[in-house]
Amino acid sequence: MAIRDDFEVVAGQVRLVLQRFALVILVVLAFAFMLIGKADTVLVENARVLALDLASPLLEAIARPVAVANRTIADLKEFASLREDNARLREENARLITWQAAARRLENENDRLRELSQFREGPEASFITARIVGDSVSAYVRGALLNVGRKAGVTTGQAVLTAEGLAGRVAEVGENSARVLFVTDVNSRLPVLVERTRERAILAGDNSGLMRLTLAQTLQGVQRGDRIITSGHGGSFPVGIPVGEAVQAVDGGSVKVRPFADFSRLEFVRVVDYGVTGLVGGASTPAASPKGR
Amino acid sequence: MRADGVIAMLDRWGRLMTPGTVLLFFVLLTFAPLRVPYVADILPLLPALAVFQFSLATPERLPGPLLLLAGVLLDLLLGGPTAPVGVSALGFVLIRAVVVANRRYLVGVPFLFQWLGFCLLIMGYVLLVWVFTALWTWRALDAGPALAQYVVVIVAYPLIGPLLARVRPRDPLNVPEASRGTAQPGETSS
Repeated sequence: MAIRDDFEVVAGQVRLVLQRFALVILVVLAFAFMLIGKADTVLVENARVLALDLASPLLEAIARPVAVANRTIADLKEFASLREDNARLREENARLITWQAAARRLENENDRLRELSQFREGPEASFITARIVGDSVSAYVRGALLNVGRKAGVTTGQAVLTAEGLAGRVAEVGENSARVLFVTDVNSRLPVLVERTRERAILAGDNSGLMRLTLAQTLQGVQRGDRIITSGHGGSFPVGIPVGEAVQAVDGGSVKVRPFADFSRLEFVRVVDYGVTGLVGGASTPAASPKGR
Repeated sequence: MRADGVIAMLDRWGRLMTPGTVLLFFVLLTFAPLRVPYVADILPLLPALAVFQFSLATPERLPGPLLLLAGVLLDLLLGGPTAPVGVSALGFVLIRAVVVANRRYLVGVPFLFQWLGFCLLIMGYVLLVWVFTALWTWRALDAGPALAQYVVVIVAYPLIGPLLARVRPRDPLNVPEASRGTAQPGETSS
């Protein structure tokens, strides 16, 4: 009996101490989490992937009704401008048909020239279509969560495309989920070409709607409206994916670039399996590959 | 004296689980790819709002360890190198502590005071997250989007807050002693 009483007394005291210092303990724990996150990045990345995989089905369940709501609102907005849109599209269609003819002619010509010069194309790219099940909407991260993962063939470093152009790259992969880092994220560094002049440059995000073009030899050569495309340097991305267009020059030798991808209405994206991502390896350090050049 | 029917048990469990479940749901809802301007900006601070509101109404059903877990989950999912894991957890725990310590200024007062308290606390939360994220990444991060989210959630609070406050029974005498807090009989939260 006495032992049990003693035990209860001690337990009571422990409980009292815990209650009194509950806040301090919790705060210390929170700091401990932060320190672990800083010290052991591999552990945290594994935890991230695990959380991602666990939450992915729930996120997908939430994403579907949200997508319906988004579409309804977009429909209502479009309804108002139906007539103008129609006129604009008819005009655009006429213009595009002439372009299509030109493109066909060039494609034929290109094929024939390639045959003549025995040009070898890079590895054939294949696509994995994915639904965006979550936005990383923190004020300090630009990214999204996808509902495909390792099982579907996604690996880190692969390019993520929309119909308009490059959206970002795969940063983390779980079994059935993946995280995309958008090109506008502050951690994104992308080796690119200015399409008109074939100049090399690095395109960096800064969490705003526009990106910064830097490190080009002669930035003066860049004009407003110039298309920026991926250069394929670093090996992980196919060459020539449109990324954005130059919109304004800033003092200090950098140029602002507006991305082609419309991040405010992303619903489905394509992950490009280019087949050579293994070359780059640890894609969790996005700045690493372009820096060497 | 407790009634022990199935319904009573469900009721008890329901009350016990609601704040935690709603908080976890809000954590997941943070990632919903909602594309409606302004409305989408509420989402990131919804978990903090829930923590504030439930700490007012029923803090004992939102224990610290649960807040810690929810915060760490949020940070893990947010991901990216610019999200220190645990900063939301720290924020949630501190919000709860401040609310519990200042209950007498926040419970049973006109709604405007509650709103003011919410404005101040969430400002602190946004600042905390910004400071830690900036320190951790060692970059002068643009606080603009965070401030926009702050303004939107402040405006949205009168719409969402009272809704969540309904977890508090209308008559405080109706609840077990522990969750009654300092409220007097006949007093309601708004």
